[in-house]
Amino acid sequence: MTIEEFRLPDVGEGVAEGELVSWLVAPGDRVEEDQPVAEVETDKALVEVPSSYDGIVEELFVEEGDVVPVGDVLISFRVDEAGEESADTGSADGEPTDAGSVGAGSADAEPTSVEAEPDTSSGRTFAPPSVRRLARELGVDLGAVEGSGSGGRVSERDVREHADSGDSGDSGADEADAPAPKPVDVGSGDRKSAVSKRGSVEETDATTMAESGAGPDPADRERTLATPATRKLARELGVDVDEVPTDETREGEAFVDEERVRAYVETVEAGTSPELDASPEPDATVTGGVESEPAPADPSVDAPTSTAATVSTDADDAAADVAPDTVAAGDEADAPGETIPYRGVRRTIGQRMEESKFTAPHVTHHDTAEVDALVAARDRLKPKAAEEGVSLTYLPFVMKAVLAGLREYPILNSELREENEEIVLKDEYHFGVAVATDAGLMVPVVEDVDEKGLFELAAEVTDLAARARDRSLTPAELRGGTFTLTNFGAIGGEYATPIINYPETAILGLGAIERRPVVRERSAIDDEFFGDDEEGYEVVPAPTLPLSLSIDHRVVDGAVAARFANTVMDHLEDPLLLLNE
Amino acid sequence: MVVGDISTGTEVLVIGAGPGGYVAAIRAAQKGLDTTLVEKDAYGGACLNRGCIPSKALITASGLAHEAGTAEEMGIHADPAVDLTRMIEWKQGVVDRLTGGVEKLCKANGVNLVEGTASFVDDHTVRVAHGGDGRGSESIEFEHAIVATGSRPVEIPGFSFAEDHVWSSEAALAAESVPDRLVVVGGGYIGMELATVYAKLGAEVTVVEMLEDVLDPYEDDVKRVVRKRAEDLGIEFHFGEGASGWSEAGDGGHLVHTETEDGEKSSYPADRVLVAVGREPVTGGVDLEKAGIETDDRGFIETDDRTRSAVEHVHAVGDVAGEPMLAHAASKEGIVAAETIAGEPAALDQQAIPAAVFTDPEIGTVGMTGADAEEAGFDVAVGEMPFRASGRALTTGHTDGFVRIVADADEGFVLGAQIVGPEASELIAEVGLAIELGATLEDVAATVHTHPTLSEAVMEAAENAQGQAIHTLNR
Repeated sequence: MTIEEFRLPDVGEGVAEGELVSWLVAPGDRVEEDQPVAEVETDKALVEVPSSYDGIVEELFVEEGDVVPVGDVLISFRVDEAGEESADTGSADGEPTDAGSVGAGSADAEPTSVEAEPDTSSGRTFAPPSVRRLARELGVDLGAVEGSGSGGRVSERDVREHADSGDSGDSGADEADAPAPKPVDVGSGDRKSAVSKRGSVEETDATTMAESGAGPDPADRERTLATPATRKLARELGVDVDEVPTDETREGEAFVDEERVRAYVETVEAGTSPELDASPEPDATVTGGVESEPAPADPSVDAPTSTAATVSTDADDAAADVAPDTVAAGDEADAPGETIPYRGVRRTIGQRMEESKFTAPHVTHHDTAEVDALVAARDRLKPKAAEEGVSLTYLPFVMKAVLAGLREYPILNSELREENEEIVLKDEYHFGVAVATDAGLMVPVVEDVDEKGLFELAAEVTDLAARARDRSLTPAELRGGTFTLTNFGAIGGEYATPIINYPETAILGLGAIERRPVVRERSAIDDEFFGDDEEGYEVVPAPTLPLSLSIDHRVVDGAVAARFANTVMDHLEDPLLLLNE
Repeated sequence: MVVGDISTGTEVLVIGAGPGGYVAAIRAAQKGLDTTLVEKDAYGGACLNRGCIPSKALITASGLAHEAGTAEEMGIHADPAVDLTRMIEWKQGVVDRLTGGVEKLCKANGVNLVEGTASFVDDHTVRVAHGGDGRGSESIEFEHAIVATGSRPVEIPGFSFAEDHVWSSEAALAAESVPDRLVVVGGGYIGMELATVYAKLGAEVTVVEMLEDVLDPYEDDVKRVVRKRAEDLGIEFHFGEGASGWSEAGDGGHLVHTETEDGEKSSYPADRVLVAVGREPVTGGVDLEKAGIETDDRGFIETDDRTRSAVEHVHAVGDVAGEPMLAHAASKEGIVAAETIAGEPAALDQQAIPAAVFTDPEIGTVGMTGADAEEAGFDVAVGEMPFRASGRALTTGHTDGFVRIVADADEGFVLGAQIVGPEASELIAEVGLAIELGATLEDVAATVHTHPTLSEAVMEAAENAQGQAIHTLNR
């Protein structure tokens, strides 16, 4: 029985720290290797951190909400021999490991650090490459192994037997000394050696830890069966029935009754967990048939590779729903109103907004395009696009119109580099497209807009937006924009004052395309009645697209912005012009 | 708006997408590491674009043309017309296909590709300048870096590659026409491969070499086979002469001037001069010193058996990390670098790295020569099999050369081999496997080899080393 510390492994994307959103385990819990123990949110993604050990959770060193540098100790485990062995096997198989899952040592197969390992490249021991690798893994000096093959050729079994005999490469280790397991520092820098041996740890009272936890862990189902009366009660008490823990099911669905709702409210108010064993994964202990497993138990999540790409939508939902609610519930007693954490993606957005708005003096130019012809063009192309499996929105048309504008006024496709005293005019047209996601605003980039057709752009925007929502974008797809579009009109509204995606120079906001009153000349027939004077105008309903163009006034003057907007509008009002783009 | 330019960080940054860099990047990505690969020029590096692959394409094509035209003995009478432009286009098609494949593989494995020139800002940051004006630059922070910037042909004083008539090996692989007279400066493997190509394409080729023979450091009997064949192809050799400069000749061509150590001067007429005197590491502009990395007096980065430089989290692989400057060595180093970073116990502990020269005939070597083995303290057993005793070699019309196998006389462990002859580059693989597996002469000899093949010669050589060859006289 040993105590093993587990450090925050490198969670990918080059991030140096992560914010511990929630613990998925509590002290005293039995944890299996690869079981998620915590959710950590980085700038970009919510990731689950899997355990490298089989064992009992000993102590949590970090509180929910803390920012943890990569490599800091998160949690310690009481590990028994069997657990160690399993960890060993994991790494010996050469499986892709997350940084933390390098096996712990055991007394009889003692991994030594490479520094202590004998020089592998010198000497002439006849052994095949597979055996050489095994020797390295077991920390065995090949030269010291007596080969059983002809002429002393060393086999895999020779190496294993040598390792078991305790006479390993770290010669001089006295067997009676019960050599302590050494950290497997495989020499790739300390960040990677996530596992290290702790000499002695005073045992912490697991029960105490459990009780000091942050209150109940709400369930997070997508569906819950409950009677109308129960639902009404839940509404009155401000409880989401999907959050109420239960082990009852009806026809395979989780079932909640009034009693459970009341019990849940009581435990929330008392700040203690409704489940005595404080299991953070209600469904894990529930009898079968519960449809909506929370993310931690989701078998589709490939736990060892903690990259953004493997985070499932479930995990996102869990983050969006669970985290704030938990905090709100826990703090209700002493904080006025509701507290929402300012962390992760939310804070990154905040910092970027701050940087942009406080660095670039914004001016927003507003105008409205009359888009009868655009609507007709899109209606005509839409079935054609659908045949190719593409959902054609107005956005690709706007992108092409903006492209026309930028070609005429390249200053809006630029970046100010103050330190170099220069404005760089970009010769590429990479458009960021703002996407609202549960986690916050993301701006994936459509590259080379000038080289792509309308359908191609439409398909790409659809794909990027979908992947922004499930956070499976790669960093490269969020990089390198030269101009940004934000289509707030998809939700509603006419005009806004968009904030520039710094260090770009301009951003174009799109209002909703709706019929609005416009003033137009009367047709020729009407003219016979009204003559050729002011009376010859009328107000008619026509589809219009309100535009909001924000510019960095350090780089661009208002007149240029207005001319640019005119060019964009010309192309939107007469989409045939887009054939030229 | 704006989570635009978030990611300025990566776990593993690889500089250079040659056979060391792209292999390292793919393996790192396979290990679940966030990996960014920066390439300033073309995926595949010198190997795919300017070295191994294009040269092999031209060697094959020129060999085919030559063979077709010299097979009267077999009853074939032909005078092939060579369209060099088309030949170069075909070569380029091969190259493009492979480089495109590399790019796709990187993407499919999730490697972030960044085009530009990387230079270190400090030991955890590089700045990548994108090509072209106004394309800007970006900073990338990394936890681990793998420097795989490769090598380039060495220029010598008096012969600037900027001159139209002075070829680097790269230019010789993209020539528009076959020069009437080609002077090759340097009789190493690159000089010899390209001298052979152009001799077979009809050029009058002169090789000028400072040393006393071609193909240093191969053994004399190996060199002799290749040199003799080259002489039969009409290549003229001048040993002990160093190229000192060139001048215009009256006929519109040039004169290449050479000088011996004693100051004796000679001049050779040439329409093109190929300078192939070696390769030097590419470290200029990388600002290695900002990461705290020093290079040795030849400009190479020193690394340990896990490819780490003096700065532990910065690895170096391939040509920039020194000899052997071979693509397959670079790839192996790339894999070790990536696995080391991933925390695995990888190491460069291979017993031997094979090498091949694609001259006519080819040379394949692996492990120790007889002299090496003696120096290492082995009681040495050597066996040989000349190709003129191989049935299959006779049927190909190529019987120059031999297989030599070197072993430890006591236990019979195979230690090395030198093969010069047809398909030597392929045959050497078997011996490499034998060495890595710790196979003995008996193991190789008792393995049944297909008849009639060239590989039988390896088996025969092993028999010969044991004094029991069937088809050659045992010594």
